[in-house]
Amino acid sequence: MNSIKWLSIILITFVIIAGIAVPMVPQPQSFFEFPDIPGLGNTARIIFFHVPVAWVSVLGFLVSLYYGLKYLRTKEYDDDIKSVSAAGLGMLFCLLATMTGSLWAKFTWGSFWNWDPRETSILILLLIYGAYFALRSALGSNEVRARLSAVYAILAGLTAPFFIFIMPRIIGGLHPGAKEDASGSTPITQLHMPLNMLFVFFSGLIGFTLLFIWLLNVRIRTLRMEHRLLMKDY
Amino acid sequence: MYEFLGQNQLYIVLFVILIIWIGIVLYLIRLDKKIGRLEKQLGKD
Amino acid sequence: MNSLLCIWAVAVKDVRSELRVRYALNALLMFVVTSIAVLVIALGDSGLNPEIMSALFWIVILFSAMSGLSRIFVSEEERGTTLVLQLVASPSAVYFGKLIFNCGLTLVLSSAVSLLYVIAFPAFIIRSGAVFLCTVFLGSLGFASASTMIAAIIAKAQAKNTLYTVLAFPVIAPLLITVIHTTALSIQGGTWGETVPQFQIMIGYLCVVVGFSSIMFDFVWKD
Repeated sequence: MNSIKWLSIILITFVIIAGIAVPMVPQPQSFFEFPDIPGLGNTARIIFFHVPVAWVSVLGFLVSLYYGLKYLRTKEYDDDIKSVSAAGLGMLFCLLATMTGSLWAKFTWGSFWNWDPRETSILILLLIYGAYFALRSALGSNEVRARLSAVYAILAGLTAPFFIFIMPRIIGGLHPGAKEDASGSTPITQLHMPLNMLFVFFSGLIGFTLLFIWLLNVRIRTLRMEHRLLMKDY
Repeated sequence: MYEFLGQNQLYIVLFVILIIWIGIVLYLIRLDKKIGRLEKQLGKD
Repeated sequence: MNSLLCIWAVAVKDVRSELRVRYALNALLMFVVTSIAVLVIALGDSGLNPEIMSALFWIVILFSAMSGLSRIFVSEEERGTTLVLQLVASPSAVYFGKLIFNCGLTLVLSSAVSLLYVIAFPAFIIRSGAVFLCTVFLGSLGFASASTMIAAIIAKAQAKNTLYTVLAFPVIAPLLITVIHTTALSIQGGTWGETVPQFQIMIGYLCVVVGFSSIMFDFVWKD
């Protein structure tokens, strides 16, 4: 566990430094230069942060779905704790992705919010998980809450990939990778990025995933202790 | 140094983000240690 | 055969108790009449573009449905008959019976709204009648199925009404967007060919929601 924590710190620090400090030039000569995309310029650096954060958010929702299913099978309170923690982190990272995306939208397309299909679907996803937490707070903390949130976590976790991966692709829009995008599919799936950028990008992906694992671990331990104190199990 | 930063403002962004990030990391490490201590306490009894 | 009878029995029971008290029916119809009256007063004769008319149409249906559909399980809790229902019928029977009841209610509601809209707004001329009818039908079924599942989930919670709206809206939103878009198209005279992707979404939505609910209802219903 400790190695995960240190590795995530190192990787993310590396991505921050490399993602920002490496210069962008029209014709990259060495390994330490990124190609300059006309029209995007330095704002393209956001891809190193915005995409991993969005990815971790999906990861969180999927983990929440998994533990929701597990809870329905085993009825172990610990699985409910894991499901809730993952959902909370998914929500946090989704908010971060939305905020970073909105900021980028302001500088690229002119306004903070455009009702682009991807933006709209992310908003609906945020509402779905907001509803998840509203549901949990409206039920007392007991087996009923765990059971019902597990069912909802499964429902929400199934819709998350739909909203993030499928819906923005079937309706045309502004965000890169939409149906009528001239540059085709997203720069990631087609690996249009040169090797050095890919290297930084994947470090970011792994680094943020490890960060997610660390945060999840801390959150689960906290909730477990809370539960033990509640049950007077000490 | 100020001249250099005035020209390459991107580095100011870099330092700001690094400061924020390191702050968050230090807080996380402190939190983690605190939880570890509490767990040990609860575990003993 | 036995389970089909069971399902039918649950649906009929709900219809009977509803007709006895007519609480939900009255509330819904009053809501519909009031909202449309407000719209007529506010808009008058100004011909609005199809998108707005379509959106308003579905908003009236949506909010009336929300006020009425959530009661389906809450009424059981309030009257204390949940336990009896759990003992007497299998969870699937309860689910499908209530689903049929909700679908029926929503269809009645949307027909009423459609009729009133055509009467109240001379500008509401629908060029592709078949597409419109199909959209309203599928949309109503979609609302009803999503609402049934969510109603089951919140039956045991506090602050039921707000919670229901909060939970229902994001789940229904994709259906709502599709249905509004298709209705706008049908007003303008869209053909079947143009609206095929939308209908795919509507039917897909129905299948996913009903499929998911029928599997998960067991867990929500039983203690």
